[in-house]
Amino acid sequence: MSQVRQRQGGDNKLKVGEKTIHEEKRKESKTPNEDEETKKKVVVSPGRDKQISNAVLFFLTVSSFITRFWNIGYPAEVVFDEVHFGKFASYYLQRTYYFDVHPPLAKLMFAGVGWLLGYDGHYLFENIGEDYIKNNVPYIGLRILPATLGALLVPIAYLIMIESGYPIITAAFAAGLVLFDNALITQTRLILLDAMLVFFMLCTLYSYIRFYKLRLREFTLDWWFWLVVTGVSLSLTTSVKMVGLFTFATIGVAVLVDLWELLDIQRGLTMRQFRRHFFARSIGLIFTPLAIYLFWFYLHFAILNTSGPGDDFMSPEFQETLHGNIMTFQSHDIRFNDTITIKHKDTSVFLHSHLDKYPLRYDDGRISSQGQQITGYPHEDSNNYWRVKPAIPFFDQERPENDVIKHGDYILLEHVNSLSHLLTHDVASPLMPTNQEFTTISVDDDSRYNETMFQVLIVNGEPDTKWRTKASHFRLVHYDTKVALWTHDAPLPDWAYKQQEVNGNKNNLEKSNYWFANEIIGKNVTEDVQPKKPTRELAFLRKFVELQRLMISHNSGLTKPHPYSTGPINWPFLVRGISFWTKDSTREQIYLLGNPFTWWIGVGALAVFVGVTAADAVSRRRGILPIIDPVRNRLYNSAGFFFIGWFFHYIPFFLMGRSLFLHHYLPAVICSYLLAAAVFNFMFVNSINYPISASATKKKITRVVLTAGVGVMTILFGIALLGIASVFYIFFAPLTYGTPGLDVSGVLNRKWLETWDFHFAK
Amino acid sequence: MEEFRRRNTGIPRNYEKLPSKDQNENGENNKTYKAMAYKPTRPGINKYIDLLREHQDITIPIFFTLLSFWTRFYLISYSNIVVWDEFASHYIKREFYFDVHPPLGKMLVGLAGLLAGYDGSFEFKSGEVYPDNVNYTWMRIFLSSFGAWMVPLAYFTAIELDYSQQSAILVTLFVLLDTAYICISRFILLDSMLLLFTFTTVFCLTKFHNERKNPFSVDWWIWLTLTGTSIGCVSSVKWVGLFATALVGLYTIEDLWNKFGDLSMPKIVCCQHWLARIGCLIILPITVYMLTFVIHFAILIHSGPGDAQMSSLFQASLIGNDFDQNPLELAYGSKITLKNMGYGGGLLHSHVQTYPSGSEQQQVTCYHHKDSNNDWIVKKPREVAWSEDDEIEFVKNGDSIRLFHASTGRNLHSHMIAAPVTTSLWEVSCYGNETIGDQNDYWVIEVVDDLYEKDLQTVRSLTTRIRFRHINIGCYLRADNAVLPQWGFKQIEVTCDKSNNTKDAYTHWNIERHWNDKLPPGPKAKYRSKFIHDFWHLNVAMYTSNNALVPDPDKEDILASTPDQWPLLKVGLRMCSWADDVVKFYLLGNPVVWWSGSLSLVIYLISLTWYLIRQQRKYIDFPSNAQWDHFLYIGKVCGIGWLLHYLPFCIMGRVTYLHHYFPALYFSILMVGFLFDHFTVYLAGKTRHIVFGTCYFLVFAVFWFFKDIAFGMDYPAIEISNRKWLSTWNIVD
Repeated sequence: MSQVRQRQGGDNKLKVGEKTIHEEKRKESKTPNEDEETKKKVVVSPGRDKQISNAVLFFLTVSSFITRFWNIGYPAEVVFDEVHFGKFASYYLQRTYYFDVHPPLAKLMFAGVGWLLGYDGHYLFENIGEDYIKNNVPYIGLRILPATLGALLVPIAYLIMIESGYPIITAAFAAGLVLFDNALITQTRLILLDAMLVFFMLCTLYSYIRFYKLRLREFTLDWWFWLVVTGVSLSLTTSVKMVGLFTFATIGVAVLVDLWELLDIQRGLTMRQFRRHFFARSIGLIFTPLAIYLFWFYLHFAILNTSGPGDDFMSPEFQETLHGNIMTFQSHDIRFNDTITIKHKDTSVFLHSHLDKYPLRYDDGRISSQGQQITGYPHEDSNNYWRVKPAIPFFDQERPENDVIKHGDYILLEHVNSLSHLLTHDVASPLMPTNQEFTTISVDDDSRYNETMFQVLIVNGEPDTKWRTKASHFRLVHYDTKVALWTHDAPLPDWAYKQQEVNGNKNNLEKSNYWFANEIIGKNVTEDVQPKKPTRELAFLRKFVELQRLMISHNSGLTKPHPYSTGPINWPFLVRGISFWTKDSTREQIYLLGNPFTWWIGVGALAVFVGVTAADAVSRRRGILPIIDPVRNRLYNSAGFFFIGWFFHYIPFFLMGRSLFLHHYLPAVICSYLLAAAVFNFMFVNSINYPISASATKKKITRVVLTAGVGVMTILFGIALLGIASVFYIFFAPLTYGTPGLDVSGVLNRKWLETWDFHFAK
Repeated sequence: MEEFRRRNTGIPRNYEKLPSKDQNENGENNKTYKAMAYKPTRPGINKYIDLLREHQDITIPIFFTLLSFWTRFYLISYSNIVVWDEFASHYIKREFYFDVHPPLGKMLVGLAGLLAGYDGSFEFKSGEVYPDNVNYTWMRIFLSSFGAWMVPLAYFTAIELDYSQQSAILVTLFVLLDTAYICISRFILLDSMLLLFTFTTVFCLTKFHNERKNPFSVDWWIWLTLTGTSIGCVSSVKWVGLFATALVGLYTIEDLWNKFGDLSMPKIVCCQHWLARIGCLIILPITVYMLTFVIHFAILIHSGPGDAQMSSLFQASLIGNDFDQNPLELAYGSKITLKNMGYGGGLLHSHVQTYPSGSEQQQVTCYHHKDSNNDWIVKKPREVAWSEDDEIEFVKNGDSIRLFHASTGRNLHSHMIAAPVTTSLWEVSCYGNETIGDQNDYWVIEVVDDLYEKDLQTVRSLTTRIRFRHINIGCYLRADNAVLPQWGFKQIEVTCDKSNNTKDAYTHWNIERHWNDKLPPGPKAKYRSKFIHDFWHLNVAMYTSNNALVPDPDKEDILASTPDQWPLLKVGLRMCSWADDVVKFYLLGNPVVWWSGSLSLVIYLISLTWYLIRQQRKYIDFPSNAQWDHFLYIGKVCGIGWLLHYLPFCIMGRVTYLHHYFPALYFSILMVGFLFDHFTVYLAGKTRHIVFGTCYFLVFAVFWFFKDIAFGMDYPAIEISNRKWLSTWNIVD
């Protein structure tokens, strides 16, 4: 029994990995045998190693630029989502306010490039397939930005592997997988956000690895530098797309594990020192990123100072901060006895009534009041006119007849054409048994006066906020039953001409209860023009919070099915791609599809990794240690880190309700390539460079305990795999670059899966 | 922070007060600082009291059990109307019915009815007054006795978990005085049984855990077997019981993982451990579960409202079924209903409503309810001259036919438009009429096999398995268990599948009803379906209807609540009409119990983190490993038990109600007891008494204040408006 306990205790330590000083000593004493063995295999000296490495890096980088930049000007037409992101760049250059669910950085970068090229943002990228040259857009310049970043993914992947202590062939293998991935090429050659996203994400991984290797030289300048760089890259990733939060999670887990080990008393840190570590990381990885993230929004608001297509998403207060906004010159105070039209905020219909009555009995057998119908109607019509009258019991006689109406005032609404008052009562509405019916009652009939009184409650209103057209959103709450005037996108049957149902919502606080007064009838716009107000100022943080909330809620609201949206489960297996662009005359098309070979290597590596760790756990449990410690630690720490990266950039998509696309998998696929290289190393090299972390002392040379010995066969095998990958890449290149066009057999030859829905297959 | 700074190697200051090691040995497993057993020091105040004290390990539970029966039975017949979901009749009348829950609970309800002499004639409509001949009091008493046994079980479980006696009493009181537990136990509902079996599962598990040092002893076998039986029972009442099963499963996996790593254990012993668990915790519960279905099928031998959920052959074997009127062989002009032969399959159905997307033609679905919209007439293609008055002509294998929907006069139709839910398959709709239409209305009948007949040329009702191949596309008519959204009334989607997979049972159909005036009824045959087939079929059907119980966004269900409201007791549930003259019951927990339960889970989590951090700094908070293990063990049983019974409801799409939280509540109550022990162990005896005494009083006082909502209010609800502690409780309007 005691034997068991001891081993279990040891187990804990082993999980901690290559951290503790004790263990390193232990390993050293253990490894001489293996050392000799591996040394025999060493073919090159460290100095030459460095030269070879640089040569390989150079070669890979050049190839990468070639693959990304080949024929970059083709097609000279708007492709897929360039429609959005090109448009947004134009908006920046025109300084008109727009709304998008993604944070502003990537679009600011496009705008910056456009500005440098002297582009003025005149073109709005309206439709896929529109001609760039005709519209005089410097689209090649815009595309060069993502293509450059996309090309740099290859060297960064290479450096990540080198820094992680893998031999050149392994690093080249990882870089090669990235190099030949058709999906990454397609996605990064166009005016899309993913090049920036993946680039910054890889920078984050790279700088964190650099930082982690310096852990024994804590608080040195280098250490601080890489910590802050990690934070900055993290922040830039998140400023491109909110997916950056997954990168945060990846780094977060690594940092927590690291901190947990620092807390271990055997590390010999005092609580004071530990706190220093803790605060250093929170400064580097929380506060720095936050500040940078906010900075882009500050820039965003500073540039976009003119009213534009994004106005309608924002609150009236926000809109008033924009130049030329409708609020600033078309908003009037509403006075008692004005006649107005009232519009529902969410569904844009007018509050409407006509002389027809509700039918006595509905289809489901329920009975109505048979009163005059109230509906929602989308078009201008005199039946939308309502006169606002004061509710006598609440009306202060001191106030003039035509006083301005304020937040909280009680009113009656008189339907002008039928001379009747709006009323609601405890009768179920036509479509919803839970909600109250609205109807009208003749102005002469005072018997139900209580049921015709409504309170105007302006959103964010104070007691003396004035009720204004356009600018004030309000809820109309019934005095008697406290329901709010409400409507929803559901048509009534033929007896109401399929107009929209209006009813009383018992939950009167919901945002769907918001209405606004559209205009005051008969008030001549020029007559009442007030001196042009200075546009309103709002605190930056308030604007930011409002926009951030809207981004999140609209992002999760993007559920409208798209013909090319796919579920996450399909992605790793490359079940389906996305058609980006087609040209009938030449039978050319761009179809986003990964290189099946590299893509499936990625999945295979994931499976092998999970299998190996599970087998290792089981055999350790039985006291068998199948993997030598340095290799095992490397497998757990380095490959495990990549695995966590893949996991966090992939699994959360399963919980998302929005419609998802294959390109959402690109950050994860890069992680799977890094993992694939680590697994390749584990399987075919079976040794590593160790240790790779800088030692605590400032001595230049780190004593090498282990050098990965790479056999010739391994190198040949790695190159062969990359060779196959390149063949696949070339085979699918016509779909990646959009040229040349393919005949039917050409398309069908490439259609390996029934679900790859290429065009021109017939 | 001060706590961290002290780098600690020796014994921390607190431990001077600890009971010495020897005393500790007295604790059963040397894990807890259990209070010393009472030893009479002052002899002879009264010998009876002494006697009671001496046997307090028996007298205390007996006392609480009596109280428990009192709280559950008190005024049980006060409300003479059907409260909420009360029901019983099907087993008494032996009519086949269908329900989403497994049969054990309902069979016990049936047994209660049988004992009470109920004849099955009353319909049990919610809110109706019980007639004189229904002895609902006895039925309620029978079922609430299940609820009453929860109390002693809670006591003994706490003892098995090594709680002190005071703590065990606290746990018992919490279970005894929770108004929600009382209220739900008093009616003819399944929940009292579900709760009881959840309690027995935890009890057996703790008993088994305490036997772990004597593997393969008689007691060890007894408790292992009982655990298995118990999880079998709890899963046979409601599928929620699977969460309790999962708890036992996780415990077992951890246990086996430890055994796997114990190199000193001979391999053969390790295998024996595995086999014992497989036998008792997998095979045994499944047997229990299936046994309940065997009894279910054995009792329900008459045709009833649930027929349509089952396969045609099963229906034919029920008494009172009229399938024997079917003519044997299918002919042109016959009117038929078609049953899908996949597990959970329904009848081919169409109705006037159209698809909102795709072709926007008339919907075709699979439906389990029998009505005239399931009737189809077999006709020849339009190009072939044929009239109803012609000579009888039988349909042959390989014939092209047109299926004509009898009530709407349209034809079964398919085309290359993606189906609404399973977008990879083609849509099936109803289109055209007798004269209008195209080739897309024609289907080829392919006979797969026949149960009795070797000759596969003709199509026989009930026994022949057929497929319908679309003549143009070559796809096969298929219905699996994909449910259409609200616009399709949650019926099952029908599609056309391009892949020609002969083995795919979802493309197999049989003729269930068959009418043809020109043909005589077929010969009488004894149809018999296999049990295992019926068992699967019924379970798949239960699963499908359970999934279809999603909240309807357009309908506000005042009874439903969401999981996030439960732990803080933000909602109650009105169990009956709220009129002034009705005896009203409000399903609402005892706030002290619920709130302290949820709080205890949070406190446990915080203390766990605290101890872990301190361990990393090598502080010694637990004098022995066994105590730390016990701390973790409680966390696993109570904490993970709570999570397993709570989290799934957050993920589930189906509509949820307050009573779904009741099993989880038990785990939080157990946690309260543990934390009280954990934090009061260093207190002097007297202080301890005061702490526990205050809690006893508090929970009792609050119970007394709220007792009427569980015992029934015969006065207007407005009189208890002072009980409305939270604005979200709809106890008064």
